[in-house]
Amino acid sequence: MTRTGKQLGSFLLFWVMVFYASGAVAQDVRVSASLSETNIFVGESVVLDITITGPTLRALDRPVLPETPGLRWLPNQTSRSTNYTYQNGRPSVTQSYGFVLIAEEVGSFTFPGVEVKVNGETYTTNPINFKVLDPKTIDSGQAERAPDIYVRIEPDITDPVVGQQVIANVVLYFKNSIEVSSYQASPGWKAEGFWKEELETQQRAQATSVLINGIRYQRARLLQYALFPTKAGELTLSPFEVTVRLRQTSRNQRDIFSLNFAQESKELRTLPVTINVRPVPQPERGELIGAVGDFEIQRSIKPSSAYVGESVEIITTISGKGNVPLLNKLEYEYPDGLEQYTPQESSNITRTNQKIAGFKSFIDIVIARNEGTYTIPGKEVAIYNPDINSFEYIKLPPLTLTAEIDPKATTPTLDELRLNVKPLTGLATWESTQAYTPLHKQPVVWTLLGLPFVLLLGALGCKTYFDKLNNDHGFARSRKARAKAVQTLSQAEQSSSVKDGYHLIEQALHQYISDKLNLPEAGLSSNKLIEELRKADIDFDSKELKRILTKCETIAYAPNITQEALTDDLVAARELIKQIEKAL
Amino acid sequence: MKRIFFFSFFIILISAAQPLAQTGPQAAFDLANTELENGNYHTALQQYKSIEQNGYQSGALYLNMGIAATQIDSLGLAKYYLLKAAQFEQVRTEASRALEYVNSQFSRQSATLPKLPWDRAVDYLKSGPGAKGVFFTGIVFAFLALILLTGKWFSFIRFPKQAQVTTASAIIALLIVILAFYTDYVDRRYDQAILIEPESRVLERPAADAPLVSIAYEGYSLTLDHRESEGHEGWYYVRLGNGQYGWIEAKGIKTL
Repeated sequence: MTRTGKQLGSFLLFWVMVFYASGAVAQDVRVSASLSETNIFVGESVVLDITITGPTLRALDRPVLPETPGLRWLPNQTSRSTNYTYQNGRPSVTQSYGFVLIAEEVGSFTFPGVEVKVNGETYTTNPINFKVLDPKTIDSGQAERAPDIYVRIEPDITDPVVGQQVIANVVLYFKNSIEVSSYQASPGWKAEGFWKEELETQQRAQATSVLINGIRYQRARLLQYALFPTKAGELTLSPFEVTVRLRQTSRNQRDIFSLNFAQESKELRTLPVTINVRPVPQPERGELIGAVGDFEIQRSIKPSSAYVGESVEIITTISGKGNVPLLNKLEYEYPDGLEQYTPQESSNITRTNQKIAGFKSFIDIVIARNEGTYTIPGKEVAIYNPDINSFEYIKLPPLTLTAEIDPKATTPTLDELRLNVKPLTGLATWESTQAYTPLHKQPVVWTLLGLPFVLLLGALGCKTYFDKLNNDHGFARSRKARAKAVQTLSQAEQSSSVKDGYHLIEQALHQYISDKLNLPEAGLSSNKLIEELRKADIDFDSKELKRILTKCETIAYAPNITQEALTDDLVAARELIKQIEKAL
Repeated sequence: MKRIFFFSFFIILISAAQPLAQTGPQAAFDLANTELENGNYHTALQQYKSIEQNGYQSGALYLNMGIAATQIDSLGLAKYYLLKAAQFEQVRTEASRALEYVNSQFSRQSATLPKLPWDRAVDYLKSGPGAKGVFFTGIVFAFLALILLTGKWFSFIRFPKQAQVTTASAIIALLIVILAFYTDYVDRRYDQAILIEPESRVLERPAADAPLVSIAYEGYSLTLDHRESEGHEGWYYVRLGNGQYGWIEAKGIKTL
């Protein structure tokens, strides 16, 4: 009896589990259908995708397409694919069928639900509405005039209020005959009158098919910006520039034998877009901080109990979605006795999900100058929410700070708390206020700066001269020649004997000329000396020199020579030396 | 004889003119002091200002101006005059004490970044010997190098390692002269200033609608950059005590 009962229990449990499992399997199967285009021209083909997804697809029959008005199925072009995935520890199988259909009849139609039998169960897809259009309705001229590719800025709203987020999409439109391989947005786009932030978008732009004035285009969103108007009025978004790399896939109509597969770059510009920005209405109450969006405000004091002279932070954090970076600081009325210091500010924003969100924190730093309890009054803040077109009001409760005197702190004396300096009333020392003259405009500076160089040059000249005097014998003889000659002539003048006097004159002239011309000191005749002087091209009285030298040489034989003649010749000799000195 | 007579006359004239020149500001100063003692602070301050406008200055004058400004609760102006007074050795102690009091009275205090060692050194040179003093020091070294060099050339100075000492003197002279010109450049380009208005906006550009950098309050010490400010009438490019830079309206700025 007991054994039979156990067996029955196990049997029932098995069937319950099987039933539960089969129910779960049946519940997890999903069937869907979609048409690649819902506006189709007669003659165009579309693809009907039927997708069956489930943990296991044990028995699956290929769906049978019902008769559909307006479309005809092309059986030979049906595709089929299977995809296996494993997510969160559970397997998943996706079976896809692609049925190619061709549009044949103009009108509005509904593709009926398609029955699909999976694991013994029958599922039906949702009906799909579609239109088949007559190609004759397209103005062929207009189609030709329509650009092959262009770019537009598409704002999501064109009448925001100041501070409201406007999403501006940069969208590329191109005909099916064009393949776009890459794009490059020109940097430096300025949105005058807006604070702009680029939103994070998916890496690769996805193209979708659209009909514009009866012409089929591919539409791809390239970039997305969040714009916040900073002033009211008519604001214009300046043209946005994009460079695209593209390739024409259709045959060149002019040359039917060539295929144009070459890539080319094309620069595209958007047209200016005008946005009418409305001013934010006046709130019934509360303080405006320029907040437009969905925000929360929190205010706290840290610490709420402090010593006198200790810094205390009043932290105001505004968080939420909207114009976070444009939020202004809330101004608080601090009671007397709280000294304020330069406030601090920090913020953090995110750019995902087509929203600018984040927080902005303001930290007021105050110091209590006296002990006591300070109350910072409560505040009501008005935030404009564009989703409901009205203000939301946030009440900030009052904050209390208790300040105590630090028992370890020294108490300031009475003198420290008042101006304990008396005016000086006696005789004062006066100075005249003079305008400061820059260094480079003071002549004394340049004089002093140049003086060492001038002195250095002078000293260098002297050094060179003395060095030459010591090392160059000829130069030294030349420099000393006149002094020696003058000295010898002086001796001649003082000589008691006339003949000795003439000898000294001869000696002086010989010595002077040979020293000056760097000639041998002895052994040169008077004629040789005169000849050397002439060679040196010196302007002097050669006859007079010859006369004096001849007279000196022949003086021993002269009968009567007077002292006056010697004196005259001394003068003549001095004059000759002067002439030669001047010439050399 | 004539020459001696004229020279003596000239000396007497100069000696007599000196006390005459001193009498003017001193008499006005005494009158202003009387007004200050009688509690007529505005009148006293006006009279002190007229002395300054006549081209005279003294430590006592600026100290009393600072005290008068404190009494009329113009603390920014008081700070300005007391800082000027502190530049005079005779009243430095009193001015520093008064400054301590004035600084403690400002409701908003500016955080102040410590200066870099190089800037401190330049400040020391500016307030100490000044650019001219530094320049003369450099010239002394230049002459020393010249004397040593010529001494060697003409053999009237000789000692071991004379060439090295001469070269070192010349290099030191050159560096000191460059330092003098740099100090002069810094002195002309930058000036310390005090804001005497209750508050003034510091902006990113010299335009009233430019984005706000910070707000400066009365008594804030600012560093004016005259070179950057050139060509922007009514505006100064300033560095705040906390290291931020921006443009401030010239109104209410008193340059030290």
